Amino acid sequence: MSNGIPLAEALARYRPDADIGLLPELADPKLADMDTLLNTYHPDHLRNSVIKLTVGTNAGDSCQRELAGLLQAEAFIDEADLAGTPVTDIDVLVIGGGGAGCAAALAAAEKGARVLLATKLRLGDSNTVMAEGGIQAAIEPDDTIQRHIQDTLRGGHHAGDPALVSAMAGDGPEVLRWLIRQGMQFEQTPSGDLHTRRAGGMSTARLVHCRDYTGLEMMRVLREAVIQHRSIEVWEQSPAVELLSNEHGQKCVGAVLTSLLDNQLRIVRTRSVILATGGLGRLHLNGFPTSNHLGATGDGLVLAYRIGARLRELDSFQYHPTGLVHPSHLSGKLVTEGVRAAGCLLVNGFGQRFIDELQPRDVVCSAILRECGEGRGVRIDDQRVGVWLDTPRLERANPGLLEKQFPNLMTRTRVSGIDPRTEPLLVHPTLHYQNGGAVIDANGATTVPGLYAVGEVAGGIHGRNRIMGNALLEIISFGRRAGIAATANRDRGPKKVTLEHVNRLRRALTLADMPMTQRAPRILPDYAAGGVWKR
Amino acid sequence: MSTTANKSGQQPDVALTINGLAVNAHTGMTLVEAAWHAGAPRVTGVGCMEGVCGSCRVMLRRGTNVTVGLACQTFAENNIEVVFLPPASAPRHHYEIDDFKDAWDIHARFQDIFPEASRCRHCHGCDTSCPKGITVENGVALAAAGRYREAGGTFFECVMCELCDVACPELIAPAHVGLFCRRVTAHFHLRPPNLIYRLEELRRERQGATLAERDEE
Ligand SMILES: Cc1cc2nc3c(=O)[nH]c(=O)nc-3n(C[C@H](O)[C@H](O)[C@H](O)COP(=O)(O)OP(=O)(O)OC[C@H]3O[C@@H](n4cnc5c(N)ncnc54)[C@H](O)[C@@H]3O)c2cc1C
Ligand code: SF4
Ligand code: SF4
Ligand code: FES
Repeated sequence: MSNGIPLAEALARYRPDADIGLLPELADPKLADMDTLLNTYHPDHLRNSVIKLTVGTNAGDSCQRELAGLLQAEAFIDEADLAGTPVTDIDVLVIGGGGAGCAAALAAAEKGARVLLATKLRLGDSNTVMAEGGIQAAIEPDDTIQRHIQDTLRGGHHAGDPALVSAMAGDGPEVLRWLIRQGMQFEQTPSGDLHTRRAGGMSTARLVHCRDYTGLEMMRVLREAVIQHRSIEVWEQSPAVELLSNEHGQKCVGAVLTSLLDNQLRIVRTRSVILATGGLGRLHLNGFPTSNHLGATGDGLVLAYRIGARLRELDSFQYHPTGLVHPSHLSGKLVTEGVRAAGCLLVNGFGQRFIDELQPRDVVCSAILRECGEGRGVRIDDQRVGVWLDTPRLERANPGLLEKQFPNLMTRTRVSGIDPRTEPLLVHPTLHYQNGGAVIDANGATTVPGLYAVGEVAGGIHGRNRIMGNALLEIISFGRRAGIAATANRDRGPKKVTLEHVNRLRRALTLADMPMTQRAPRILPDYAAGGVWKR
Repeated sequence: MSTTANKSGQQPDVALTINGLAVNAHTGMTLVEAAWHAGAPRVTGVGCMEGVCGSCRVMLRRGTNVTVGLACQTFAENNIEVVFLPPASAPRHHYEIDDFKDAWDIHARFQDIFPEASRCRHCHGCDTSCPKGITVENGVALAAAGRYREAGGTFFECVMCELCDVACPELIAPAHVGLFCRRVTAHFHLRPPNLIYRLEELRRERQGATLAERDEE
């Protein structure tokens, strides 16, 4: 497939001072057209992209096709692998070392639990560290918890669980206090208030931030707090490859970890497991690039599903409209929405505008895909196509603005010898966030006893669309809730650890005549697994 | 689509070594992409690929010149020898921020925890190794002088790669010094009125709610 305008031709045609004129009709969709646009071009609605699950707790539910393949796949290990494997006993096991995992580990340790935190890469290698924009909390005089709840539910197209949303929104101010106590800094106004911004989907200013490095500031503080805590042990480079169940396969009593350094399996036995494995951008669903970190391969969903936990909204993902196409090493990386908010336009290969740039993310994303699909995109080669983000025009209208307000973007592109002030940036939608996940209650407990899920791996809060700043709030709010609840679990602990749940899914797959050629979880994307991890 | 390191159709034009393996890569590939492209062994320190997680620490040898850096921010070049460094070992300095009760004795605590910080020999090792261009040495001096807010400000863009810790002959652990400074500044001095007001409002609401419940009983 090579429709679209070749890069050189498009560049020759491109002029930052060209008269773009009025928005063509195509670019100003009516409400009804908007639905058609979404239904025709949004990746969630791509033909063949969604199927029904055949086996497991969600049998009959809609699920993105590639994810379904992993949920209904063969495990890596069976009983024979467990013989002779070293065993560690601990009060609480946390799987995943992003913001949610660290918050859970710290809360459990504060309550007196001995905690083991095992993570796939290095502690803090996560989507959390990459977050730029900020964290939501209703702290301004004109704002209320109730408004935060309403904005969140509306933003999620009313598919979210009101009980979870009100738990999270109600925790907002307390979460900020806790973060400050851990030593996190935030931007302040001259009078010392926390500075807030208003972003997409918010009815008032509610986004608290640490310049454009909110996630980095949060992650390095939590990472240090975890490393320094005497009751928390950290195992890095130690991905979980399977959970363990009791002899009836009904309850979660531990996990099997491997090591990327020595490939040695380890068993951890515990009363409570907290899954905090984050999202799945690196599965590149529907062939999309992603903004996510390398470890975001949806492992937690696979592990939770196999042990019988119910999942939700498995067919709903957030694609950010403006991921970079070029240079290739930054493929899928975000250009922040702020650039469009500052007045930057999107133009196609013919130099025409095609959408009101400040429509909701899913609408802008669909419009870009329409341009590319109908041959008006700019094509670099067989695989890479996009539209222009017209930064030179913005610079012409506001000299110096890019350098002043978007230093992060400028630094990143400078490393690659690109100057957005003179060259437009080629962009394409990028897989950004998993809206759904494991079904949880207000304690982060899944439908399987002994198993908790917090952060991006959990579902129910953002419905079918997340608004900016709620993910960073969710991970601390529910991370802490689950850490506390998991410690309060006074169960006597496992008598026996088994793989009964794995056998159960195997039997179901055989009965349904499903192939067991694929193994899951993924752990690393294929292109990065070469020298490290053998499936 | 997804594999950033795929340049099908073109001949590789850069030759280098990564973790001892001879690698043929393409101009414009980062060292991370080059390592994947060749399936180089022991490349487990990759996270964000945009220079914010500090995981992809590498040692670089060009002729006799040895430097350190971040692999996702460095491009493949001819004849360079690249070694991905193992994850840093656990820090030697221990504190829990909740143990600090009184901001007045914070300097005493700092000196207990980081006694080496006042022994900096101004060798610039930390400055030269920092991939973010942070004036680490100066940050350490500010901390040793008790100027935590300013010291912490110096480390604003720190990505915790801990390359400065490795470089420091006095084992000062500048990265952790920097973070200590930032943390105590927020812990003791960040007291935003708008947040405090809302917290109190919510506390009263909750209290009111429990009192009302009691009345009903
Ligand atoms: C570029 C970017 C910008 C963003 N900006 C914002 C923003 O401004 N505001 C906002 O609210 N949200 C933002 N988000 C979303 C938000 O950052 C994430 O949703 C959130 O941080 C997820 O936190 P988490 O702890 O659940 O997962 P993560 O932070 O991704 O952590 C998951 C951890 O689990 C580990 N792991 C994975 N699999 C395994 C396994 N099998 N075994 C052991 N460990 C495993 C991973 O390595 C990782 O350390 C952004 C996301 C991205 C990618
Ligand atoms: S200050 Fe140290 S830890 Fe921070 S980025 Fe520089 S070298 Fe890395
Ligand atoms: S490396 Fe250590 S001793 Fe040398 S200047 Fe930096 S802090 Fe001082
Ligand atoms: S991979 Fe995160 S800094 Fe290089």
